[in-house]
Amino acid sequence: MSQTQTQDKAPWWKRKDVKETATLWVILSVLIGGLAGEVIARSMGAPASETMENTIRMMKIFTWVSAPVAGLVGAIALKSLMQKRHYGDTPPAESDHEIANSPKASAVWIVTSGLLCLFALVFGMIVMQEDAKSLQAPNAIHVNVTGQQWLWNFDYPDNAGVRSHDLYLPVDRPVIFNVSAKDVKHSFWIVQMGVKVDANPGYITQTAVTPNKIGVFDVRCAELCGLLHAYMQSQVHVVSQADYDAWIKSQGGRA
Amino acid sequence: MTTTMDRTASAGHSAKSPLIEKLNVFTAFGLGIILAVVFYVLAAKLIPEDTDAMLIHTKHDQIILLAMIGWFIGFMVGIGALIGPFRWLLGKDLSHDENMFYAGKDLGTKRYFRYTTDHKVVGIQYLVTTMIIFGVGGILAMLIRTNLGNPEGGWIHPQAYNAIVGIHGIIMIVGTIIMITGPFGNFVMPIMIGARDMAFPRLNALSFWLIVAAIPPILSSFFLGGIMTGWTAYEPLASESPAGMDGYIMFICIFAISTMVAGANITATVVRMRARGMTWNRTPIFIYGVVASVALALPAFPVFFLSQIMSAFDRAMGTTFYNPAGGGSGWLYENLFWLMGHPEVYVILLPAIGALMEMAPVFTRRPLFSFNVAVMGIAGICGLSALVWAHHMYMSGWAPLLNGPFMLTTELISIPTGMLFLVLVGTLWRGRLWLTVPMASIYALLWNFMIGGITGIYLSDVPADGALHGTMFVTAHFHYTLMGAGLTGAVASLSYWFPKMTGRMLDRRLSWVSFWMVQIGFNVAFIGMFLVGLAGQPRRVESYNAMFNRGNMVTTAGAYVIMTGMLILLFAVVDSWRNGIKASDNPWFAKTLEWSVPTPVPLENFATLPVVTTDAYGYGKAKS
Repeated sequence: MSQTQTQDKAPWWKRKDVKETATLWVILSVLIGGLAGEVIARSMGAPASETMENTIRMMKIFTWVSAPVAGLVGAIALKSLMQKRHYGDTPPAESDHEIANSPKASAVWIVTSGLLCLFALVFGMIVMQEDAKSLQAPNAIHVNVTGQQWLWNFDYPDNAGVRSHDLYLPVDRPVIFNVSAKDVKHSFWIVQMGVKVDANPGYITQTAVTPNKIGVFDVRCAELCGLLHAYMQSQVHVVSQADYDAWIKSQGGRA
Repeated sequence: MTTTMDRTASAGHSAKSPLIEKLNVFTAFGLGIILAVVFYVLAAKLIPEDTDAMLIHTKHDQIILLAMIGWFIGFMVGIGALIGPFRWLLGKDLSHDENMFYAGKDLGTKRYFRYTTDHKVVGIQYLVTTMIIFGVGGILAMLIRTNLGNPEGGWIHPQAYNAIVGIHGIIMIVGTIIMITGPFGNFVMPIMIGARDMAFPRLNALSFWLIVAAIPPILSSFFLGGIMTGWTAYEPLASESPAGMDGYIMFICIFAISTMVAGANITATVVRMRARGMTWNRTPIFIYGVVASVALALPAFPVFFLSQIMSAFDRAMGTTFYNPAGGGSGWLYENLFWLMGHPEVYVILLPAIGALMEMAPVFTRRPLFSFNVAVMGIAGICGLSALVWAHHMYMSGWAPLLNGPFMLTTELISIPTGMLFLVLVGTLWRGRLWLTVPMASIYALLWNFMIGGITGIYLSDVPADGALHGTMFVTAHFHYTLMGAGLTGAVASLSYWFPKMTGRMLDRRLSWVSFWMVQIGFNVAFIGMFLVGLAGQPRRVESYNAMFNRGNMVTTAGAYVIMTGMLILLFAVVDSWRNGIKASDNPWFAKTLEWSVPTPVPLENFATLPVVTTDAYGYGKAKS
């Protein structure tokens, strides 16, 4: 059982190997958190909606929160590796202790991971509610999205008869997408805005977003839909409200 | 050889029919092919033609499915799986001699090609089969990566590419499910608990030969138009797919039966047949990993089986389980699939981590840290993994209100997973590290599984999943868990138990070279894949925007390094098996029971059954 550290007079936190591990822990945590957070932010590119900004920020925070866990595992593993190594065909001498348990360490570990878990959950819930706000916005415009093998159709129900294969949206205005499909499942995904929902034949699903940057962004299909799935791509043109009205008019709508 | 009176009577009867001695893998393949052809021809003749007036055309699928059922029946009859049940129907049982023959007594290498019941033979059969499956899956993986070497899509036609992706996926999933419980669960586990064989030796043989019977249908789908759905076979795309889909369906149905049979058998063996004195507290942690894995598969695979039967009915009989036009729903399929699909990843992981936890005390020469926490972690994962399936469906639009609850259960699973990390690093701490491939594999697992686990936390979060679902990020994440953690554990198990299974040591130099190549190649390949996934490359595409070019090149280069490492391992296994250094009975000086029996392990393992008085982790100062 845990009649541990009988050979050490000093309290455990003053032992040399514990101190070194603690130092290593801090270094590794900062390294992992900084490096992974930076890689994530850079790879995900410039966000084009608040939803995507939230997502990137949240992923960075999750990285920083899990970095100490990864750092501690790394520190203990590395310190053990640096201490006593043995090569050869016969085993090393038995280790100099027989610690089989430490209820304290286990309890701290489990409680901490429980708290981290709770943090991730609550934080995720808050962001989820935040992102859902666009869906309830009274001034939202609607776009009906229909996936078919292998292209996207965008209908603008506020202007009956307007249909396009490239999506046009006004900046800073919530958009609600009513998504469906003609044949098989597709998944409607605006990459830089971080929103996605499957397009199901026979059903309508919804997602919403508020674009906050003028520019051209990507729509890709995120659900394998057969032969030319890879080519089922389109573009979103986010333009000013005036340009949007002009575009609607040019397509025969009322604006 | 003691035969009682009534035994001699039934032996006298069976002496007239030495059929049992004639059946082997060749008769199985022969009869299987003959019946497949017969069923095909009869079905093509007798089933009425489809007409243009029909809403869906079913004849072709009916013919193909019937031919595959013919193959299945023929193969199982040809291998001799029905001899036992048939005897029972006649009110008799196999004689002692026949049982000995079944166990492979005095048969030499021939027993590996028969319906042999000895668990050690089944273990070796599983090992070789797993390696063949990984070989096929690996070739497909290399085709995928080569095709993705440049952005415009390569030289593979999109239809063939989709088939390759789907079959790579499903065949690797099957390979990883059996890679530890098959070879080591069968060969090592009964000896480790001090049993003479499995609880149901004939079911053991059955579970193995079912897998062999399942493989031709999935390979045949290459020649039937392929499957274009990926390994998930989502509806309604699956209904639209060519007849290759029928191969997938048959493959899953037969494999699911095999898994259920093996699961029942292994569970019964561990619950009922542990040696005297081996209480649950003294049962090695590897056994917990294996039992948890198969216990999880027991409820999961019937659901998978059912989902595919319904798929087959939709294709061949015109039902509309998944067809919204007839009142069905593709979401129904997704639910059934992931009810199996999420427990299944832990079916793969738990034995791998269990095996490495088993090796940790041996190679650190100290007791396993916190056995109870390890058991709690395994049990916790088992319980929770049945409650997380819909996190694969956050973005499906099925039930947005359920996203919160599923986020909760999914994130909770990080607690028991964390416990397993605690046990491993706790065991490393202040141990004397004997640096062997299994020891290094523990480090590789900590590294890979940490990355796989933390990326899993991002994916468990609904808003982040909005950006990451369906991208290469997901592909990289599950390769980190299933390959980086799972396969690493399996390779470690191979080099750890190789001496007991073959009597020889696995070549040390080659296995080190292979270890480093695979681990480095793996991390290069899949970190590259994480990056393109974060940047927005969808999964399962055969061409991609030029902006993803660099990441894909890195991944492809890494994949070639993995391949080289795996080929070196294959060479090491074959070479060491034939002329490696002879191993002693207990080369690692370990304390579990399988090292206490002589190598090669005799039939029925123990001359006298052992009595256990302590756990197997009594390393450390006081015991040396």
